[in-house]
Order: sequence, then structure tokens, then C-alpha cells
Amino acid sequence: MTVISDILGFNFVVIGPTLTLLATALILLFVTITISTPTFVKKYVTLFGILSTVFAVFLKFGLFLSDGVSSYFSEKILLDEFALVGNVLVVLVLLFTFNSFWNTSSQIDNKTTEALILILMSASGFLLMVDSENFIMLFIGLEIGSISLYALAGLNRGDQLSNEASLKYFLLGSLASCILIYGIALVYVSLSISGVYETSIAISFIGPENVPLTSLIGLIFIIVGLLFKVAAAPFQAWAPDVYQGSPTGYVGYMASVAKVSSFIVLARLSAVSLTFIIDKFNLFFTAVIILSVLLGALFATNQSDLKRLIAYSGVIQSGFILSGISFGVYGISASIFYLTTYIIQLIGIFTIFSIISGQLSSNFAISNLSGLFKENKFLTITFSIFMLGIAGLPLTSGFVSKFILITNLWSYEKYLLVTVLMLSTVAGFYFYLKPIWVAAVEKTDNTIEKIKIQNSDKLLISTLAFLTIYLGLLPNTLVNISRWMVENYL
Amino acid sequence: MTGIILALLLVPLFSALLVFSIPNTRKELFRPIGIVFSLITFTQSMYILFSDYSKSDFQILFRFEWIQVYGLEINLGISGMSTLLLLLSSLLVLLSLLSIGKDHSESKGFIGSILTLHFAINGVFISGDLISLFIFFEALLIPMYFLMGIWGGDNRRYATIKFILYTVFGSIFIFIGTVYTAVISYGVNARLAVDFETLSTLQISASQSKTLFLLFTFGFLIKVPIFPLHTWLPDAHVEAPTAGSILLAGILLKVGAYGILRVSIPFFTEGFLEYKNLVAVLSVIGIIYGAIVAIAQIDIKKLIAYSSISHMGYVMLGISAGEFLSIEGAIIQMINHGITAGALFMLVGFIYERRHTRNISSFGGVKISMPRYAAIFLFTSFASIGLPGLNGFVGEFMILMGSYNSYKVLTSIAAFGVVLAAIYMLWTYQRVFTGPLSNEENKNLQDLNLRETVSIFPLVLLMLFIGIYPSYIESFVIQEAGNLSETISLFRSTK
Repeated sequence: MTVISDILGFNFVVIGPTLTLLATALILLFVTITISTPTFVKKYVTLFGILSTVFAVFLKFGLFLSDGVSSYFSEKILLDEFALVGNVLVVLVLLFTFNSFWNTSSQIDNKTTEALILILMSASGFLLMVDSENFIMLFIGLEIGSISLYALAGLNRGDQLSNEASLKYFLLGSLASCILIYGIALVYVSLSISGVYETSIAISFIGPENVPLTSLIGLIFIIVGLLFKVAAAPFQAWAPDVYQGSPTGYVGYMASVAKVSSFIVLARLSAVSLTFIIDKFNLFFTAVIILSVLLGALFATNQSDLKRLIAYSGVIQSGFILSGISFGVYGISASIFYLTTYIIQLIGIFTIFSIISGQLSSNFAISNLSGLFKENKFLTITFSIFMLGIAGLPLTSGFVSKFILITNLWSYEKYLLVTVLMLSTVAGFYFYLKPIWVAAVEKTDNTIEKIKIQNSDKLLISTLAFLTIYLGLLPNTLVNISRWMVENYL
Repeated sequence: MTGIILALLLVPLFSALLVFSIPNTRKELFRPIGIVFSLITFTQSMYILFSDYSKSDFQILFRFEWIQVYGLEINLGISGMSTLLLLLSSLLVLLSLLSIGKDHSESKGFIGSILTLHFAINGVFISGDLISLFIFFEALLIPMYFLMGIWGGDNRRYATIKFILYTVFGSIFIFIGTVYTAVISYGVNARLAVDFETLSTLQISASQSKTLFLLFTFGFLIKVPIFPLHTWLPDAHVEAPTAGSILLAGILLKVGAYGILRVSIPFFTEGFLEYKNLVAVLSVIGIIYGAIVAIAQIDIKKLIAYSSISHMGYVMLGISAGEFLSIEGAIIQMINHGITAGALFMLVGFIYERRHTRNISSFGGVKISMPRYAAIFLFTSFASIGLPGLNGFVGEFMILMGSYNSYKVLTSIAAFGVVLAAIYMLWTYQRVFTGPLSNEENKNLQDLNLRETVSIFPLVLLMLFIGIYPSYIESFVIQEAGNLSETISLFRSTK
């Protein structure tokens, strides 16, 4: 392997995870179109592909340990701490959501393979995105990932909401992609560069005060393109509709994978490209954070659909994560901690939704939860843990992440931001406790249908709930990892 | 001693998990398990009471590196005031478990929630730094949420959400205060050290001290509750089940005053001197307002809730006067109010279980059908009014004595609270217990049975004991009250 790559000048280990997922998708495709494949074969091929990706990420670790931060493929692909953590997180998302997206896909007649291929392709795209050093590679990765997600949202053709979600996601998403590529073009026109490290070198060369306005606007456009993916206000309009309309079994994957990879890229941009001129973006970031938190809290308060509520809560969480990313290197590490814990809770919540209402369903009203405690205590308790975790109650990981984030903000004397973020936390207790009330507290004669939980789902949900509590009690390990990530960028 | 401290946290937590893990077919086991484990906790608190630590200032006995890179630690410790409050909380948990009727005692969730609440309460009183104090302070909410939400009255949804939102709103200020203190401490110690030992040596400027005092005190005052921020309390008490009310009035209200004595005053003394007059005025308004509103109540539970606002006003008046005697009186009044209010709520619970109403007008002449109950109620009422020889007198007298030097007018007004207390308690007694048995349903009321008598009796004994021999309980708080008043007078003289 090394010999061939030496001869070609390529090191395939560095894009190993992307290639593995791509290969799995292609194998699935060829197998299904040539011979009639039983479903279990598809399942195990997919699972095997994901597990090999885990192995490929390990190989990448080995490469990183021997070579350190370095570029590959003539400075298109970058291997640094952000890429590694991004890879690990994307693969973890794949592993955690495997059960629910497999169950969903197996229920869609005749389209099981397509669904699996779309998921594997999107994951490979997002992996490419977190690996990219060049902005064009970033765009390619983002598009590979997003286009698959647009299709995934509309996979349930019989459901009108699903079609609507897909179309909305596609139209708004392509607009965001346009803005992103426009930004890349502007940066290239004004500085003749289009890379993460190149930008910071160019800026330090011409001096932060001489950066042309065109490139600043270009950089803002790039950031806006990424903010769209994480549903930060005012670019959040798609999120509630897409979350509500898409098949429930897929939403956990769709929401978390896009958030993880976009935030990793944003963190790298903030730590590397914008190091010298991050002050110029303060106002922009502050506005986005305050808008996200206020709009999210305002709209989440009166939602009757739980998936929409979680979507708006996602807008608030994006504001929180962004508040770390835009203020200082320690803030970035706090944000990565926040991101990880939030993803764990998000996947847990959507797994529970898909178990309760069926994988293909779209609407999920809060009243669906009524009587859940009588029917299934396990789901109610874990659901409450996840919701309280997102709300930021002490003894869960949500509290630790909020604490280190706010401490960082306070040390930068961002008192306004702290006030707004904390007010949204108070509001959060109102709307995060509402579903718990309906599920566990309220007395009702309502009985919901018998819920069958597979053992694998049970194992998954208990693992996620355990992680939520564990990271709240003993967060040391994850804090150390997120610290290690940014140590070289101080 | 470290083992005992840790066990104060772990035993209630373990017992709660044990209760939750027992299948519903063994309903009869829930209460015995809860009682046995709270007896263990009670014994541990007694052990601390007879150790060297029970008469000292706060001492940190256990450190745990929580997040290394930030230098965040979890510290646990003990002091005289904490010992008394721990003892009170384990006693009240034990007695409330004993006192509850069959519909609650066979419910897994109810017993489990009370034991979880016990865990969080113990955590508040032994936490040795701001982080763990905040963690346990917030953790109190969850068992209370379920206790009130599931087993509460008809209007429980409104009351629960109000309770949660008020407390969370207050705790946000405590959270920001903690973060602010941590950042200041980072500038000096190069780590986010917020344990009480570091804080007592931390130099903070006057303006920082004022801001921090406001942040912390506002959060704690909501929990006390002080006059304009009190509206959650009557609703919460009326809707909460009996055991929830006992613990809410007996212990949860003390958490606020405890936080002010433990954090706001010793570490942010300059802020305290700046704003103490405001707190004193508000607490006197609370004393009079709570008493007057209590007179007008028709629901006995709401009446006791408003009387709690009045009694906690005395605590806050004593604290804000900042004299040795008044602070000592405030701590003793905290304990006393925990005992009397807990007993009163328990007594109301007994009659509510029999009649399913708490309306004063539907009673009358109950003394004839329930003589033992009437006697205990009268005794507790006298203790609550502050009759000399019973516990209520000790705390209120010390507070009024201690505060008179600082606030002559305010203390004089506050003294009328005792008269008003006599009006609302005795008038209630008169309407409920004396007169002819006018209501048909009251004729067949059963007097207190053995279980109920046993669960109220320790509280009655304590009222008498503290009333006759107050210097015993005083001996545990002399050191702390002395240190607090010394700190205050030191800052006052340098000003």
C-alpha cells in the first residue's frame, strides 16, 4: 500500500474513511442490480462497511501520530486534529444511528438499497468536507453530503410532508451552496487563494488591517453557507419543516451529521484561517448567536409538534456552540465538548421518537407521548434524561458543556451574550419540561399502542443515556480530548 | 469522617435506586426501605453532631478533581450549621415517610422521589464549593417536579411550572455569579478554584463584591422567599402532597437562607453592607404582609404557607442586621421553623387524609372527635406563635434582640408579627377545633393512630426541648455566627 502510494505521490490512508464508505455504497449498488439480494446481506454489507470505516479512521490516527499536521494530494486534503475529531464524530454518528436508519430503510419497499447508498454517500461527502484543506474540496464534500440528504428527506414518496421537506431542503440548501461558492470565488478573486492555511498566510502577509473588503465579504459568505447547514438563525427557516417532514428514522442522522461536520469546519476556519482577523467578525457572530437563541426560544415555546420543537431547540444549541467557536481557542474546545454531548442527546431523542411513532412517520405531536409512562417506563426515563440534558440540568452533560462555554464567554467579557444565553436556558426549562410532563407526569386514560423495542435499540438508547449522565458526572476525559484538539492553535 | 460525608450522599442515592429497582408487586417494601435508609442517614448525622466538626466553622473534608484542565474541584465538608440542617433534613425525611398515608406509601415513584430529594438536600448542605452547591441546588428541582406534578392537587400544572421557572430564574443568577467568581479566581490562582477555603482568601474589589452579592443573593432570596418574590410558595404548598409540603417548608426554604449565610455574606461582605438595608426592609414587609394575608386565608395549608413567608422574614431580618446575636437567632429560627412548619403541614395532612378538604369553614368542634390531634395542634400552634418555653420564642427573641441596635424602627414593626401570628394561628384553632360539632362529617373522625402519633411526636419533643434548653442548640452555631459577625464588623470598621 505504502509503496503504491509513494509511487503515485498519493497517500490513500488519509482519505481512507471516505473511500471505504464509497466502496461500500458501490458494492451495495452492484450487488443489488446484478443479483436478487436478501435483505440481511444488505444489512451486513452496510454494517461491515461502517466497521471498516472505523478501522480506516484508526489508520488515519496512526498516520497522524507519525506525520503530525500535514497536507496531502497537493494541498487539497488536510490531516489535523479537527479532521481527526470530525472523522471520529461522523463515524460515531453513523454507528449510533445505524439501527434506526436500517430499520427505516428496510421498511421502504424497493428503495432499501437506495436509502443505504444515500446515507453512505452523504457520510463520505461529509468526511471529505471535514478533511478538506482547499475551499473547493470543502464545497465538493458539502455538496456530496447535502444532495444525498435532500433525497433522503423525500424518500417516503407516499407522504406529502416528506416531499415538501425534501423540496424545501433542496431549494434553500442550493441557495446556501450558491452563497458558499460565491464566497469562495470572492476570496479567490481578492487574494488569489482558496485554502484554509493559505488564507491565514495571505492575511498575515498583507497584514490584518489591509485585508480587502471583498475577501472579508467572501469569508462571511463561506461562513453563511456553513451556518445554513447548522440551522443558525437567520438561516434556520428550513430546519423545522425538514425535521417534521422527513421520515423520523432518518432525522437523527440527517440533523447530527450535517451539524457535526459543519461545526468542525467552522471551528477550523475560526482557529486557522481567521486567527488574525477574528475581531472583524465579532459583530456578525454576536448578531447570529443572539438571533439564533432568541428566535429559537421564541418559536420553541409554542410548538405542538415535538420534531419542530427539537428543530428550534437545535437553533438555540447552534447559537450556543457558535458562541464558543467565535471567541477564543478555549471556546472552540468548549464548543467541541458541547457539540459532542448535544449530538449524543439528539440521536437519543430521535431514536426514541422513531420507536414510538414508527420510522416512516412524519408528524409527531406532543400528545403522542401521553400515556408513555404507563406503556414503557424505559423509554420515558431515557427520554427525560435526554431532554433534561439538552435543558442543561446539573448532573447531566448539558450542564458541564454550558458551564465551560459560559465561563469562556465571561472571561472575554461578553456580558450581553451571557445574559441572552442564560435567559434562553430559563425559557428552555419551560419547553423541555413540557414533553416530560405529557409523557411522565400527566394522568391520562390515553393508552398508546404497544411499543416493541428491539434489544439493539435498547442497548443503544441506554448507552446514549449512560453517556449523558457519565459526561455530566465525570467529564474529564472528553474535556481533555477537546483541549488536545486546540492545543496547537493557541 | 470523609466516609461519613460521602455516605450522606451515597446512602440516599442508593436507597432511591433500590426502591426504583424493586418490582411493583412488592409494594409493601417501599416504605420500610425508605425508613431504614433515612434512619441510617439520621444516625450518620447524629454521629457528626457528637464529633469535633459540629461546632466548628466550615471545614472541607473531601476533594475530588472534577475537570483537571480547568482546575475545577468538587469539595465536600461540614460545619455546625450544616450539621443541624442535615439532622433536621434526615429527621423530616424519616418522619414524612412515616406519616404519609397508604395511597402514597405504596407508590414507588413517591418514595423514590423523596429519597432522591434527600440526596440533593444533603448535597446542598455538605457542598464545599460554589459548583457543587449549584449542582445540588438545581438537582432539588427534579424530585420536587415529580412530587408536585404527579401527586399534587388539581391545579398542580400551574403551580409546578411556576415553582420550576421561579427557581430556575433565580439559579441563573447564582450560575452567572459562580462563573464570575470562577473567572476572578482564575486571574489569581490560575485555575477555576471556587471552593470556600480559596474564596475566603480571595481579594475582590468593592464593585465586584457588590455585583456578586446581588447575583447570589437574588437567586437565594427567591428560594427563601422574600416579599415580592414569594408568589410561587403559596401555590406550591397548596398543590404539593403532604410529604412534599413538609420537606418544602422544612428544608427547601432553608436552602436559600443557608446559601446567603454560607456564600453571600462571608465572601461578598462589602456588597452585603451596601444592600443589607434593602433586604431588611423587604423582610419586614414580608413579616407583616405574610401574617396579614395569612389571617384572611380559608385554606389551612395556604395559611401555613403565608405564615412561612412571615417566619422566614424573621430569618432574613436577623441575617441582614448582621449582629452576632441576630445571626445566631436566624440560624436557630431556621431550625425552629423547619420543625414547626413541618409539624403543622404534617398535621394538616392528617386531617386532609380523613376529610379530603382543608377548608377552615368545613370544620368546627373537631376537638370533640379528635382530642389528641387537637392537643398536638394547639401545642404546635403555640410553638409557631413563639410562646416562651417553646422553640419559636427562642429564635424570634434572639433576632429581635440582636436587630434592635441596627434597625430600631424595623425591629419594632417586626415585633408586631408575633401578635399577628397569634391572631391567625389561634383564630384558626378556634374555628377548626372549638365550638359545637356542626358538620355531620366531622363526628366520625378517627383520632390519630399509632403511626401518626409516632411520626409527630419527635417534633413535639424537639419543640419543647429547644424551648427549655436553647443553649444546647446554640452551642453548635456560636462559632459560625461569631465568625460571620466578626467579618461583618471588620468590613464595617474599615469602611
